Amino acid sequence: MKNSGTMMLVAAAILSAAACGGRSKETGPAGGTAVETAARWTIGMSQCNLGEPWRVQMNQDLKTEAALHPEIKVVFKDAQNDSLRQRAQIEEFINAGVNLVIVSPKEAAPLTPPVAAAFTKGLPVIVLDRRVLGDQYTCFIGGDNKSIGRAAGAWIVRRLGGAGKIVELKGLMTSTPGQDRHTGFREGIAGAGLEIVFEADMKWLEPEARKEMESALSRFNKIDLVYAHNDPGAHGAFLAAQAAGREKTIAFVGIDALPYEGQAYVRQGILEASFEYPTGGKEAILTALDILNGKAVPKDITLPSRVFTKDNIDRGGEWISGAKTPQ
Amino acid sequence: MTLLRSPLFRAFLALLFVVVLGFIFNAGGSFLRWDTHRDMLRQISVFGILACGMTLVIIAGGIDLSVGSVLGFSAVLFALLSLRLGWPAGWAIAVSLAAGAACGLVSGGLIAKFRIQPFIATLAMMVFARGLAKFISGGQKISTAVLRPDGNYGYADAPAFFSFLNSKILGQNIAVVTLLFLLCVAVCGVILARLRWGRHIYAVGGNEEAARLSGVPVAATKLLAYGLSGFFCAVAGLCQAAQEVQGDPETGTSYELTAIAIVVIGGTNLLGGKGGIGLTFIGAMTIGYLEKILSINAVGEASRLMLTGAIIVGAVLFQKYRK
Amino acid sequence: MALRMTGISKSFSGCRVLDGVSFELQPGEVHVLAGENGAGKTTLIKILAGVYPDYSGEISWDGERLKFKSPAEAAARGIVAIHQDLAQVPSLSVRDNLFLGRERTKAGLWMDYRAEAAEATAFLKEFGVEIDLRRPIGEYPVSVRQMIEIARAMIADAGAVIMDEPTSALNAVEVERLFAIIRELKSRNRGIVFISHRLEEIYRIGDRITVLRDGSRIGTEDVPALTPDRLFQWMVGRDVTGQFPPRTPSPGENVLEVRDFCVADPSRPARRAVQNVRFDLRAGEIVGIAGLQGSGKSELLNGLFGAYGRPPGGSVRLRGRPFRVTSPSASIARGMALLTNDRKRTGLVPEMGIVPNMTLASLRRFSSWGWMKPRREASSADGYMRALSIKARSLRQEVGTLSGGNQQKVVMAKWLQTEPRALLLDEPTLGVDVGAKHDIYRLLNDWTGEGKAILLVTSEIEELLALSDRILVMHRGRVVSEFKRGEAGRERIIQAAMGA
Repeated sequence: MKNSGTMMLVAAAILSAAACGGRSKETGPAGGTAVETAARWTIGMSQCNLGEPWRVQMNQDLKTEAALHPEIKVVFKDAQNDSLRQRAQIEEFINAGVNLVIVSPKEAAPLTPPVAAAFTKGLPVIVLDRRVLGDQYTCFIGGDNKSIGRAAGAWIVRRLGGAGKIVELKGLMTSTPGQDRHTGFREGIAGAGLEIVFEADMKWLEPEARKEMESALSRFNKIDLVYAHNDPGAHGAFLAAQAAGREKTIAFVGIDALPYEGQAYVRQGILEASFEYPTGGKEAILTALDILNGKAVPKDITLPSRVFTKDNIDRGGEWISGAKTPQ
Repeated sequence: MTLLRSPLFRAFLALLFVVVLGFIFNAGGSFLRWDTHRDMLRQISVFGILACGMTLVIIAGGIDLSVGSVLGFSAVLFALLSLRLGWPAGWAIAVSLAAGAACGLVSGGLIAKFRIQPFIATLAMMVFARGLAKFISGGQKISTAVLRPDGNYGYADAPAFFSFLNSKILGQNIAVVTLLFLLCVAVCGVILARLRWGRHIYAVGGNEEAARLSGVPVAATKLLAYGLSGFFCAVAGLCQAAQEVQGDPETGTSYELTAIAIVVIGGTNLLGGKGGIGLTFIGAMTIGYLEKILSINAVGEASRLMLTGAIIVGAVLFQKYRK
Repeated sequence: MALRMTGISKSFSGCRVLDGVSFELQPGEVHVLAGENGAGKTTLIKILAGVYPDYSGEISWDGERLKFKSPAEAAARGIVAIHQDLAQVPSLSVRDNLFLGRERTKAGLWMDYRAEAAEATAFLKEFGVEIDLRRPIGEYPVSVRQMIEIARAMIADAGAVIMDEPTSALNAVEVERLFAIIRELKSRNRGIVFISHRLEEIYRIGDRITVLRDGSRIGTEDVPALTPDRLFQWMVGRDVTGQFPPRTPSPGENVLEVRDFCVADPSRPARRAVQNVRFDLRAGEIVGIAGLQGSGKSELLNGLFGAYGRPPGGSVRLRGRPFRVTSPSASIARGMALLTNDRKRTGLVPEMGIVPNMTLASLRRFSSWGWMKPRREASSADGYMRALSIKARSLRQEVGTLSGGNQQKVVMAKWLQTEPRALLLDEPTLGVDVGAKHDIYRLLNDWTGEGKAILLVTSEIEELLALSDRILVMHRGRVVSEFKRGEAGRERIIQAAMGA
């Protein structure tokens, strides 16, 4: 038993070290290991994954805004793209007694019950970017993917002069943004003489988009434009075209327009246009503060969006008509 | 064998150690609430069901690397039959369970009749079943999403059985999947302790040649063990599909590692011939609590993975020192 | 230039296996080491080859004191042993095995395959052996693999080569080749220690012979000067009678009729380990089978029981009806039981308790509809513990922790539970202490009194002579002699077993 005693001590030491080390990295605003003034409210935030750069940006926006408000403390959890894990995290937030939950769900159906459970217990829940089913939540904040899709469609119609062959690379079609960016786009190009020669679900991932584009390139000799539901997807398509030597004859359009990603691609000439999809991080914190301070908030907040092209990038893009004016 | 040396006691010690850690790092009192424990049980249940079948197979002297994939295959099949094709729950369940068992029997047949090493045979089944899952689902998740006339997707209600499996009963105090897990534990317990087949399993795992020369039907014993493991994978697959409200062809990936870890931490010897389902149950609780404690303390993913790996090694060494 | 072992003694767990044995090997001689099973030959050569570093006494070569801590050290010094279980890696090529541990390299790092191939080809040509160096050695038959072992010893430039029963798996042609190689080694002034049971071989190839008995050296003599009679006397020595309970056999009906029975060597299916054996076994009778290593006696028992599946030839009648040998479970169902000679490997499940081991062959009696009846099991086990005087801490003790004698009794209990008519016992008192041996002898008498028939294989000649109503002697897979009780003594039996 002597040896096993040492074993236990070693294990205990490792666990304590990790728990302390792990915790300080994840909680509180950036660099929050210093003395924390007692935060009045704790907010639990569950992000469906941190593999997409857009989501990393979302967390960053949340952190930046939260740092400006010392009365709140945000605990971040990463669900590693696992719906069941995300559900567990929401339940843990409930049990930990946080004051408010912000969640960006991976999928609607599996996450609806836990969100509803929190909501009915009186715990406010802000749903970011992807919806849950039903209305058992406090507030939904997201861009209007449909109108972005429509605007993209309209822009593409003008760009191609009303005729051309298009490849559509879609995001995860079981999630609402993918569905909306698709239906909006189709509405936007309805009636014009544009032909969708190829469409595929690239699940928001650049390597998948590249694979799908390679298939498209080998099947079709003439492709005029690629419309991807996000910038990584558009970039993946660009790389595939570049490998086939056809990148100069194809135009690429994406969505997200993160400063160091989509906007940079536009500057470099990789993308002809990128439509901004705001992360909503800042708005989420501000709305959370409203809720915690007892103010009423709307059920749905739609964030406005801009389009970036080579012409207007230095001006900071152009607001898309049909979107609400910025606050 | 004195109490201190019994494997059950040592497994229990390890569990106790983890629980004590939970009380220490209780994340502001979370660990003290019953809800946390109920949730932990529910989260570990699917893995625990897989570990039940794995226990039988390991005691019989083999290993089953395909449990995650067969889980995925059964989950997709179940979703396909009940969500997309609208079959009544009873038939969908029966066919999915049979499919899982069939996969297990194929593995078992390769191992028992063709003398292929368990590692290789079940590795092949792992890949094949994953392919089957992707094949019948067309590579897409099968969910309750329906294309509405206005071009948008809406979500139909999940069939009643799905909601039932996904729910909690007894005043929201225990999840249905947890009850299923306990049922599987009980079934394995009966087999190993009370059935003649269970005696065969221990003998074949303990000394296959001696068992054969004593007239034990070695091939049939192994075949049934793998078949039952496949059956349990299907049960777990049903639970998984119900909880995710969809059939995801990728679901269950790498679950076999967790299942094996549970059995090992419980104290069942990987070489076969020794162990029991009680040990596996304690192993499941240990791993379940470990993950829960890390999760409620918001330990980062990297630390979490490294820690889990270190603790698995620690637990095994702890058991070795009993000699 | 002699290799000398002086006053070598060794004990295993308090049991004295070698007692002050001296042995000397001259360069260029074939020195035969002979003796019955358990005389200590294998232990002696293992000490010489560095396998047992723990012994008392002295080894010297050319006056230089040697003390090996491992076989590698002995090999480095030039003493190489070719054991019965060849120390080769079956999946590696012939070339790799030849140079295993002594690889030829360039600058100590890079494998020099060309040098190896050249050296190997040169050596093997001298042996007259043509093989493809690159094929895995496991694909070649045992005889070729033995050649390779010898070649390996030569490549290692061994000064002394020890061969333990080298001809047990060889046919006549291969034996000739082996002898040719041995003569070649002699001409190069290598010394050879040759362990063998076969009379014809000893007299053909041996220069000198040393006989061990019960751990002591009986004598050393030049082979031509030692007559076979004196050789037997040396090997057999005094009779130890009086420790066996008296037997009054009254044989009844034929339980087993075996005709033209053949068994294939399990490790080498082309070879017949048992050839055209014919005998009858009657109820209430003990038939003893004598034979030395390689005679096929164990294979006969295993083959009859179905441990190797269907035999390649012969017919068996069990209690008057034809019986097809197929598998252990079929034999058990018809009333046969086999006690193997290696209970740890094939007789017991070491980590299970006493009770489950006892019931392993008759589980149907202790279960109904697949459901085990533990109380029935426990009471039956209790009965056998008493009947066979099995000593253990409790019924739940793991059998792996029991003493040899008690383990053997547990295995016997297992077979008795199946209510057999014919018991095939392979070395039932191997590794069993004196007290338990007595118990087992009594039991054999009781069983035959009840009408069971026993086929008994044992290497202890006294046991064989005292217990058997009839004795069959096997040599190289055939039954060469049959004696009734009292017709032959030790010398005659050993003579027959050695092929004389």
